[in-house]
Amino acid sequence: MSPTTSTAIEVLNLTKRFAQKRALDDVSFRVDTGSTIALVGPNGAGKTTLFSILCGFLRADSGNVRVFGHTPGESSLFSILSALPQDAQLDPRFSVGKQLTFYGQLRGLNRREAQQETARVLELVDLSDQLKAKASELSHGMRKRICIAQALIGQPKIVLLDEATAGLDPINAKAIRSLIADLSKDITFMLSSHDLSELERLCDTVLYLEQGKLSSHQRYAQNESDTAFLTLQVQQLSDVMKEQIAHLSGVKNVKQSQPDELVIEYDVSHKALDIALLELCHHHGWRYKQLVNGNTLENQLFATP
Amino acid sequence: MSLKRIILLSQFELTRLFATKRGWLALAAFTMVWLIILRYPIYHAVSVLRSPEFSDIAIQIAGSIGLYQLVRWPEAELSVYWIIALFTFPLFTLFVSADQTVEDAKRGTLRFLTLRASRSEILLGRFSGQVLVLFALISVSALAAWLLMLTRDTSLLFSGLGKVVAVIVLLALTTLPFIALMALLNLLASSARLSIIYASLLFTVGNLLIGYLASYIELAHWLYYALPGVHISHIAPWYNINWQSIATPILQSVALLSLANWLIKRKDL
Repeated sequence: MSPTTSTAIEVLNLTKRFAQKRALDDVSFRVDTGSTIALVGPNGAGKTTLFSILCGFLRADSGNVRVFGHTPGESSLFSILSALPQDAQLDPRFSVGKQLTFYGQLRGLNRREAQQETARVLELVDLSDQLKAKASELSHGMRKRICIAQALIGQPKIVLLDEATAGLDPINAKAIRSLIADLSKDITFMLSSHDLSELERLCDTVLYLEQGKLSSHQRYAQNESDTAFLTLQVQQLSDVMKEQIAHLSGVKNVKQSQPDELVIEYDVSHKALDIALLELCHHHGWRYKQLVNGNTLENQLFATP
Repeated sequence: MSLKRIILLSQFELTRLFATKRGWLALAAFTMVWLIILRYPIYHAVSVLRSPEFSDIAIQIAGSIGLYQLVRWPEAELSVYWIIALFTFPLFTLFVSADQTVEDAKRGTLRFLTLRASRSEILLGRFSGQVLVLFALISVSALAAWLLMLTRDTSLLFSGLGKVVAVIVLLALTTLPFIALMALLNLLASSARLSIIYASLLFTVGNLLIGYLASYIELAHWLYYALPGVHISHIAPWYNINWQSIATPILQSVALLSLANWLIKRKDL
């Protein structure tokens, strides 16, 4: 791996142990500037440990980590990297505005600029009216959004968000997803979440960690193979449906991935397969719920052979 | 290391005392305690010291415990204040500076800070913030003693002012290693309360252990210099205060902070 100016994060042979347990085991990857990266894996897979090492909260036992060419924890990263650490809270004794302004000042802004920046980031998370509220007076969801706001102070180049939408109600989770999607034009994001559909919508690169090992590193790219996928969710899925779909022209394979979901592998030369599929549903009166162009992230990561 | 960030961090510590409800309550308690100390122990002790009937006895008693120089001060309020403050402020410091980083580390707030300031800057910023807080509290109580003295004798205004400045400087120096010790213990303990317990154990068990060791090994006597406050008995009589007495708390603070800095750089947050 040779780092380039477009490299946002470069991790080489990273290992971290806690007592006898290897939280990260020889992890290597590189992601480019402008990517939105999903960090996926079961509980205890090492996601938060990786986040913590990238932020400089933990020291690696061995391996090399570079964020925009800098070692985590270096002062040169203060204006580049920001994060939402899991479970971190603001000081409950001070107002939200005071603390965010203070963080802005630590970033090098003067007091006035820091106050303006605080107003801007609170506006982004729709909490402008909580400027003078103390962190202890806010609900869990509000505190989470404030913590996301602190990660955006000073317009960092890369933002790491650990479980950003966990514990948020659906409306606010959607608002945060929209915010990340909007900001991802200018900021490289790395997100960890258990909500795969959320990551699928936001991310173009997926890192899958399992038992401390990086078992999958995918980047969604233009499909250059001759095979493509459609994912169909349908009510009352039956074998007859599977058979009928399998007989459509261009279909190579039909696999049931969920009780109500089929993954259809087809030849890309048959560009109108989606139309044919919808016509088939309409003709037989099958009530489909969703048709996804491609294979879902969940199926890619957890598909049973 | 950025001086600007250290100053910002220390300023934020000042607001913790002067701009929060808990800080205001602590200040109110501090003021009440010192008002009582000034009104009763200091006021009455001065009456005794200045009275013709008791002054000779007082001088004899003070002389026998090495405080001969102090009881001869015309600024009697300041001499009594000096003795009380010299032995109470170190203890008070342990409580005031018990939470420098430990509660922030527990809550995760320290993670937000380390994204914007180095660990050494946070350590030094919090330490210097506590130094400023203690300096302010020492100054206020010492000036109150000076004002009390002026209500008795205004001719002591300038001579008293010189003494009060010296008293403030020496008290501030004395508290330095105690603040540094709490900065270090904050990195070893899991809460502010546990930091105080560790400090208490250090001063009790630590003293006993050194005493025991020193009874067998003469060189072990030097271990007392590892404990903050070892110089207090040297400066208490206000007689022949030498550079060694002044350098001791400074060197102890540098050593404790260096150790804390080494530790915080390696600590998992």
